[in-house]
Formats: sequence, C-alpha cells, structure tokens
Amino acid sequence: MVQLEVILTALGLLLQPYTLTVMLAAAVFGLFVGSMPGLTATMATALLVPVTFFMEPVPAIAAIVTASAMAIFAGDIPGALLRIPGTPASAAYTDEAYAMTRKGEAEMALGAGVTTSVYGGLFGSAALMFAAPPLAELALKFSSYEYFWLSMLGLACALLVSPGSPVKGAISLLFGLLLATIGIDPMTGFSRFTFGYVQLLGGLSLVPVLVGMYAVAEILRYATTIDAPATLPQKKIGNIFAGQWRMLWKYRWPVMRGNITGTLIGALPGAGADVAAWISYATAKRFSKEPEKFGTGHVEGIAEAGAANNSALGGAYIPATVFGIPGDSITAIVIGVLYMKGMNPGPTIFIRNPELIYAVFLSFFLANLLMLPLGWTAIKASKQILSVPRHTLMPIILMFCLVGSFAIDNVLFAVTVMLIMGIAGFLMEENGIPIAPCVLALVLGPLIENNFITSMMKAEGHLLPFFERPIAGALGVITILVWLTPLALWLWRRSRWRAAAGA
Amino acid sequence: MMRRHLVSLASSVALLIGLGLAPAAQAAWPERPVSIIVPAAAGGGTDATGRLLAKQLQDIFKQPFNVVNQGQAGGVVGHTNIATARPDGYTLGVIYPYAQYKLLGQADINRDMFTPIAQYNFDPAGFHAPINTPYKTLKDALAAIKANPSKFKIGCGGSCGGSWDIPVSGLLIDQGVDTKAINFIPSNGAAVSLQELAAGGLDFVTASAPEAKALIEAGKVQPLVVMSDDRIPAFPNIATVKEQIGKTFEGGAWRGVAGPKGLPAEVVQAMEKALKQIYDSAEFRDAMTARGFGMRWRPSADFTAFLKEHEEFTARIMTALNMVKK
Repeated sequence: MVQLEVILTALGLLLQPYTLTVMLAAAVFGLFVGSMPGLTATMATALLVPVTFFMEPVPAIAAIVTASAMAIFAGDIPGALLRIPGTPASAAYTDEAYAMTRKGEAEMALGAGVTTSVYGGLFGSAALMFAAPPLAELALKFSSYEYFWLSMLGLACALLVSPGSPVKGAISLLFGLLLATIGIDPMTGFSRFTFGYVQLLGGLSLVPVLVGMYAVAEILRYATTIDAPATLPQKKIGNIFAGQWRMLWKYRWPVMRGNITGTLIGALPGAGADVAAWISYATAKRFSKEPEKFGTGHVEGIAEAGAANNSALGGAYIPATVFGIPGDSITAIVIGVLYMKGMNPGPTIFIRNPELIYAVFLSFFLANLLMLPLGWTAIKASKQILSVPRHTLMPIILMFCLVGSFAIDNVLFAVTVMLIMGIAGFLMEENGIPIAPCVLALVLGPLIENNFITSMMKAEGHLLPFFERPIAGALGVITILVWLTPLALWLWRRSRWRAAAGA
Repeated sequence: MMRRHLVSLASSVALLIGLGLAPAAQAAWPERPVSIIVPAAAGGGTDATGRLLAKQLQDIFKQPFNVVNQGQAGGVVGHTNIATARPDGYTLGVIYPYAQYKLLGQADINRDMFTPIAQYNFDPAGFHAPINTPYKTLKDALAAIKANPSKFKIGCGGSCGGSWDIPVSGLLIDQGVDTKAINFIPSNGAAVSLQELAAGGLDFVTASAPEAKALIEAGKVQPLVVMSDDRIPAFPNIATVKEQIGKTFEGGAWRGVAGPKGLPAEVVQAMEKALKQIYDSAEFRDAMTARGFGMRWRPSADFTAFLKEHEEFTARIMTALNMVKK
C-alpha cells in the first residue's frame, strides 16, 4: 500500500499558494462555463489546456480537475432556473428540477444539486484513490498483447454507450480512426495522408482538434440559431442548504447507488457524466417507492443522478491514469496534458512519480470540498451570470480558441486544423452524429495500432500469441464477445423475424 | 481611442527603427528576441535542457530567448526548420541524433545544413533485462545472443534507428553477432519499451540508465551495462563495457546547439562563449545532474567533426542492420 510519506509529500505539493490560487481561478471559470447553456465541461477543459501549458504538472491537472467538477455541478443551475441544461450532464433531470422551481422549491432543487454533487464527487475521488494503485500493480504485468485488447475493448465501449443510432456512432468512430492515421506511422516511418504538408507529418495535434470540435462547433451552432434571451424567474433564492441533511438521509440508498453507478460508468471508456446521469435517473425511477411522483418536481431522481454525474468524473480518471485509456472525453484531453507534462500515464507513473499522481487524486477531494462555498456563491450570483450577453461571450471564446490552438505547437497550421475540425464537428452534430466516439477513437487509434504492430512483430506474424498469456487470452475473448454480441443478436432477431414471416 | 492610436504609433515607430537598423547592426547581435527551436514536445528531456539554456542565455544577452517546441514527426519537423531558417542568428535550435532521418527516407538532413555551435550533453546508452533474466552480465547476454540471435526480442526504447539501439547494435556487430536475425521491436518511447520488458514481453531493452531508474529501483529491471568510458555518478553500480569485455565502447544520445548553415561568425563566437560560460556554471550543472542528464562539452570545431562521425557510424550500423531505405 501507499506510504503515508508519499501522501504527505503530495499534500505539500497541492497546498502551495500558487496551486490553490490556480484551483480557485479554475473553479470560478468552471462554474461560469458550466452555467452557460451550451458550454460544456469538456469545452472548459479544452480551453484550459493552453493556459495550463505554462504551469507545473500539479497545478495544471488540478486546474482541469477543479474546472470540470465545477462545470458539471453548475450545469444544474440553468437547468433548474431556465429549463436549459448548462451541460449535457444535467440534461437527464432538467425537467424535474424546473418542475420543482415552478412549485416554488428552487432552493431544494439547487441545494440537492450542490450537496449530491459534493457527495458524489468525494465518493468518486475515494474510489479513484483506492482503486487506481492496486490496478496499476496489475497493469505492470500488461504487455502489448493485453494493451491491444484493452484498447479494442475501449473502442467497443465507446460505440456501445454512444447515444442514438449505432450506425451514426460507428461513422463517428471510423472518422476518428481515420484522423488518427494521419502522419508518420509510428513503427515504420511511412507517411500517410500528409499530401506533402510537413505540418501533417506529426499527425493531428489533439488540442486543436478538441477545441475545434467542442468549442468552435458550439460557436457555429450559436451563430446559426436565433434564441430569444432567456427570462429568469424574478424570485429571490433563499437558503439552499435548508433541509439537505434530511433529504440526503431519506434518499441515502438511491444516492449511494448513484455514486456507485457513476463511478463505474465513468471508468468505462467512452461513457462519462452525461450517460451516468441518464442511467441513474432511470434507475432512481425504476426502484423508487413513489415512481408516480417523477416528472412532477420530485427530488429523488435529481439526488441520485446529481451524485452520479459528479462521481463519474473521478471514475473516468481510473483507466486514464492506470492504462492511459480515457474514461470520458474530459480525460481524453487530460491524457494529452499528462504526456505534455512528462507524467506519462500508465502503471509506471505510480512507481516513478507517486507524489504527483497522489497530488492529482487529492486535488479531487479539495475541488469537491471547494464546491460547497463556491457552489453556494454561484447560485446566489446566478442572475448575473445568466444575463451575460452571449453575443459578447462567443467572440471572446473564439479568440481563446485561436490563441490556444496556436500556443500548443507554435504553428499557424494548428489554427487551420482547429477551424476545419470546428466545421466538421458542427456538421456532425447537426446530423445527429455524436462527437465523443470520434474523439475517443482519435486517442485510442494510435494505442491500438502501436500495440497491434508491436505484438505482430513480437509474434513474428502469428495470431495465437495474442491469446497465449492468461490475461491477454481473457481480455481477447471478452473483447471479441463484446464486438460480436450486437451482431449475433441482430442476426438472431432477423432469422426469427424471417421464420415468423415464413410461417 | 487615444491610447490605441498611441500604441499603434509607437509600434510603427519601433518597426521603422528596427527596419532601419537591421542591416547595419549585426555586430550588436542579438538586438531582438531569439527563437530556440527544440525538436521535441514540451515536457520531455530535450525540452528541459533547451529551457535551461534559454533561461541563462537570456540573462547573458539581455534579450528574450524563446523556446519553440516542434516535436512533430519524431523531430524531423524541428530539425528541418532549424536547418532552413534564415541564417541571421535569430533562429537557432537544439539538435540531437538526426542521421537516421535520411537513412530511413524521412527527410534529407545532414551536417552541411547546420552551423554547429556547441555540444553540451551526452547520455550513454544502456542495455537492460527483466529482473528474472538468466543473463546477469553483458558477457552472458552477448554469448547467448551470439549463439542464437533469432531467439531474442530487443526493444529499441523508441523508434528503431535511434539514440539507444544504434550504439548497442554497433557493439553487437563488433562482437560478431548476426544482428539481422535479432527481432528489434520499436516503441513509442523508452518508457513503453521498459514497461513491456517488465511485463515479460521482451528479452532486452536499449535505453539510458536514468530512463530505467524507476523500474530498476522498483526491482523490475536489471541493468547490464552503461556505454560510456567511465561509470556514471548517478549509477555507480552499473559497469561499463570496458570493465566487462575489455573493450572501450561509447555511444548514446547527445544534444547540442546549432543554427542554419551560413551563420555569421560573430554569432557563433558569441554563442559559443556564452554556452561555455553556462556549461561551467554551478546552476546548469546542478540542474542537469538533478534531472539525470550527462554533461559533455564540445566546442564548435569539435562538434562539427563529431557530427561527421555520428553520420558515418549511424550509416554503417543501419546498413549492417538492413534498415536503410532505397
């Protein structure tokens, strides 16, 4: 187990005035972005990357952790007050929260948002802190075969959990894999899809692609839609913490279930806070003693789903730090930042820099504790935040996008990439093609390719060694089953349908 | 409004002065900020050394020295941009083993395209085995590989044809090993190869001792040799080639500062002098040692001669390994 010494060093790294100031600033930024409808936690993370570029590793990651946690919570604010979810993670219970506001229970809805977010966030942090190190010990036994299967499994999950039509999810996934092949191939040095551009030799840099797809696409969407300015309920918001203890006690089991579901869904590659919230809201209704109250302004579903979306954040860092496989689109970005900071994710970071990785884990706890006072402040200031004119905000965000993309590699080409990806992301979402599978494929693509080719070279062209090591064999069988099950089900249904039609 | 006018006025004036003075003021280099291209991503070893130098160069010349990270395509892009920059002394860069780019058919980069200024670092290659290896010394490993080369998988600690596998291959070739039969496995960096080694997927890995430090200390990896003339201070327990087989063999990664071909002589002299001053400073030495980097000084003339040696040695080994394209 971890020595106390490491934890203390980590705490020392975290409790620096500089790091704390950065976290506070990131928290304010995250709360603002989260409460602006349309601006997501992933976008907050993508916009933060160029800023963290100049920081030491601990403040850099702590800033991202804080901003994303705050943004996920703050998404509840416009959800409850305007019936517009601030981030997709709040969408599952927006109607419910708004119904409560209309019943005059805005304090209860918003208070439940804060307290369950804090509770879920702390649970996810604890899960991360205790699950990651033993998993890392196991991961040290992973060779290229195991990594190949694991990343294939990640790809399968990314597809399985993507919302909407599986065909559209697959299109997005394949587009991401195509983008991932651009540049010099890592093993033999052959250049692919570079069309003679030196700038493309290194492949697409992740940050411009992400900033484009998550931020520029949103700006384009704003520019093409005409929304009447939202009107806020004029009522003053009272004490949001009144009755929260009783609520948490009454719904202790649903909330705990939300914590566990959230952490597990977060750890699953491809699924993040939004999926966790949808599933938890559904299970809350399914197992509730009073399911008929759901949809009429009932706090139970909000409590369970509100805990789930924040615990998912911590869960997502488990595969990200241990295997370098992102648990959601936020950690897809975080992995890039870890590499930039020389904290290459993988089991060896737990041996090489345990104090850095523990500082990151501890920053989760701190960020979630900060949420109590800051969340309260954000709710008090919600009227001011929500009345910031978006036609002023959007150009400023675009400027951040431009500067940020340029700053990563110091090449203008990155700005072009970002703008093109922004248009691509906009067109994809307009046509119901989700972006998340594409982004995950972009991160997982090189991992799959490198490990496949390394494995093939080691095996000298044979396929059997992919199953010879025990862990690799088990992972291989699971992966193949996960990929084949939907196909088998489809074939089975079709044959039954045929038989029924024939009879 | 007024302020904006003033700012633009001031900047136009500054621009005019700059244009007017540029041709005449070469002696006073540097009179504006200098870019240091580092052909590696921010956060890695090359970037760290580049930033150390830039910080102190800034103090010496009283002008900003800006590190520009261009790590794309394994350094091809950065090296190309150093070589093709305008030779006015305002774009310089850090270079490291590059001869393989041309041999692999990636980019024609050679010493004639650079003005070498000074080498400041050398990290000897190492050869590592898993902790449960039957080969505990270089001699045992060499004998086993020589007897049955096709049985062994060696990780390159990065892309093959790099800083670590080339010197190790050179040693193997000089010992009469049929290196073409060995299964060399490339990877995305030394950390990946070393983890693969610890997981039991490889027989040996070529990488530097500092890169393997964490896994050596965790008792997962057994270092066999360090390829320098003397043992390195940070790893007093790893024996040299000479101690083990009685033959001197040095090889590994190096880093130096260079500019494009045709750099003005006064720039080279001023930079060489400044770099020597930095190299000798306690601040630089401490920072390099703390991060596990080896120190090696070669002034401009020696560095130029060394680059020729680097290209010839790499070409010889890669030809012997059948790695050369075309």
